[in-house]
Amino acid sequence: MTTAVDVRNLQKQYTMGSTVLDVLRGVDLTINHGEIVCVMGPSGSGKSTLLNIVGGLDRPTGGAVIVEGDDLATMDDERLADYRRHQVGFVFQSFNLIPTLSARGNVELPLVFAGLARSDRASQATAALESVGLGHRLEHKPTELSGGEQQRVAVARAVVNGPAIILADEPTGNLDTTTGNEILDVIKAMNAEGRTFLITTHDRAVAEAVAHRIVHFIDGSIVEIEQGGLA
Amino acid sequence: MRFRDLAFLVVSNLRRMKLRLALTALGVVIGTSAIVLMVSLGVGLQKSVVASLGDLGAATHITVMGGFSGQPGMPESEPLDDRAVARFEGMDNVQAVMPIVTAMVQDMTYKKNTTNMTVKGVPVDSLKAFGFEIAEGRLPRNDKEILLGDAVPLKLFDLSATENTNKAARLELIGRRIVATVVQYPTEGEVAKDPAAAMQEPVEERHKLTVVGILAPADVDTDSSAFISLDTALAFNGITTRRPTYETIIVKADSAETVAGIEKILTNEGFMTFSARTIQEGLKQTFVIIQVVLGALGAIAMIVAALGIANTMTMSIYERTREIGIMKAVGASNRQIKRVFLSEAAIIGVLGGVGGLVFSTAGAALANLFLQSMIAAQSNGAVSQPGTTTFFYIPLWLAIFAIVFAASVGLLSGVLPAVRAANLDPLVALRHE
Ligand SMILES: Nc1ncnc2c1ncn2[C@@H]1O[C@H](COP(=O)(O)OP(=O)(O)OP(=O)(O)O)[C@@H](O)[C@H]1O
Ligand SMILES: [Mg+2]
Repeated sequence: MTTAVDVRNLQKQYTMGSTVLDVLRGVDLTINHGEIVCVMGPSGSGKSTLLNIVGGLDRPTGGAVIVEGDDLATMDDERLADYRRHQVGFVFQSFNLIPTLSARGNVELPLVFAGLARSDRASQATAALESVGLGHRLEHKPTELSGGEQQRVAVARAVVNGPAIILADEPTGNLDTTTGNEILDVIKAMNAEGRTFLITTHDRAVAEAVAHRIVHFIDGSIVEIEQGGLA
Repeated sequence: MRFRDLAFLVVSNLRRMKLRLALTALGVVIGTSAIVLMVSLGVGLQKSVVASLGDLGAATHITVMGGFSGQPGMPESEPLDDRAVARFEGMDNVQAVMPIVTAMVQDMTYKKNTTNMTVKGVPVDSLKAFGFEIAEGRLPRNDKEILLGDAVPLKLFDLSATENTNKAARLELIGRRIVATVVQYPTEGEVAKDPAAAMQEPVEERHKLTVVGILAPADVDTDSSAFISLDTALAFNGITTRRPTYETIIVKADSAETVAGIEKILTNEGFMTFSARTIQEGLKQTFVIIQVVLGALGAIAMIVAALGIANTMTMSIYERTREIGIMKAVGASNRQIKRVFLSEAAIIGVLGGVGGLVFSTAGAALANLFLQSMIAAQSNGAVSQPGTTTFFYIPLWLAIFAIVFAASVGLLSGVLPAVRAANLDPLVALRHE
């Protein structure tokens, strides 16, 4: 198995006045291509912080994140944007779709910034939406979609640029169990096609259902890594 | 990322804030209209004034008048006599010099038809050098011959305008005898010698003259004048001295560019001068000032409009903070974000600019119609062509400038908000509610 993302001794500190807050205290984690890794842990343990750093939205204060041979910690803003554009897909707890754009417009968005021609964008976005079962909702606005459908649009948007890794922060957090499970099924189907995921969750059942490996996080450190249901 | 790819984002953004977009663009419409109407008023006035001045004569001609300049510090000029003529001829950049004596012809009669006109005595040889073109006939050769300006046959021989453009009809006039009624008042010299001379009855004389030529159309003044030889005019006026002085001398410069220099030398010597060139230059400068002042008034409205755009962009960017976070998360670079919002601001500017141009074009047309009909009503038709005076005139350069300016104002107003949007921390933006 080849390495998709290599997290080495990752540290994140916030200095608030005289107190220093250690949010990540030297995290080491390797995520392989085609793997789903779930991060579990109590609220405030640093799960989202880890995801945001791996996704290039936040910067570490120490350590390295190696993706395709490049260390994110050394990249400037422009290169980080380029990294997010080509190597990462995000799925958020609150869907985060742009309300004025249709489902397809939202999925096209990463391709717009990547500079794809209009016709390529449309066909790729349509294909991505079809793969999450929304081929019949292309022109719907987010407000005209259910929560589960919105999150499926978000998953389509996260995979449309063919990223090395898809980061999902509590992807089922805003959904009921049934709808959440549908999202997990979509994720598993995507994974079956070889896509790699790093997912955070509070919910043991979610981790069990969807992960190859479950990483337990407490207070900014990994305390245990166990096998998940997919392994 | 090309603009075409951005368009769908920009358009969807603008669509959601239709009302606010309309109101903001309305500000630009008002600003653009104010500038365009103000400047077009300046341009229109300039056009009307220049047109109403008519043809001031050739651009190379300087009219020199004798020394009643009366300006402090200026020397009394020497008399405008043959010595002055010779001296002017010797000046740098002077091509030709023509003294003029206006003959005291009260009116001109052909058969029962009597009209009055200016009859000028000139050295007939110099007419060619001054660009007078003889359309029919030839120059006068003796004191019994006269050359007519282009428009003279209309009144004197009752020719219609179309007949007067007909060569054959005009050739028929050559050789006709006309009678000039000359009225001699006592000259200043005579009055000085004997004040009682002022009380004398003026002497009336009749002189028969033969039409030997007709000039081609030139300026208004020339067209309505007739020309005789200098000596004939002096004789008509009863001037017998060997060294006559002339009321005006026309100096022809070798090019329009040297007119100002020659004029300066002459005014420094105490002569009164005037030329089409310097009058037009002066007018041009005056109107540039008028246009700048009027434009600046309009610009105030545009500044308000710019603040409106900046305000709208700031608000809409604040409201879309979270979306900026989303765009960054899916890979938008700072530059791309900036471009999205700059495009929005520029489009508001362009929309407002186009609207303003349409509005001011319509407004200018209406105002012209209204003002022209007011003038027509007031003058009871006394103005020959009431429909021709333009008050507001929008030249192409002004139209193009208006759109470009409105777009630039939009773009500039958007810079600060757009830079702020681009520099937002993606995580902070994503947490924004
Ligand atoms: N900008 C910031 N400044 C200071 N502290 C911060 C900042 N962002 C996050 N933190 C702190 O970092 C810690 C980790 O936050 P993080 O969001 O990663 O937790 P989490 O594990 O995702 O929690 P949850 O399960 O509630 O989402 C928290 O204690 C939080 O207060
Ligand atoms: Mg979290």
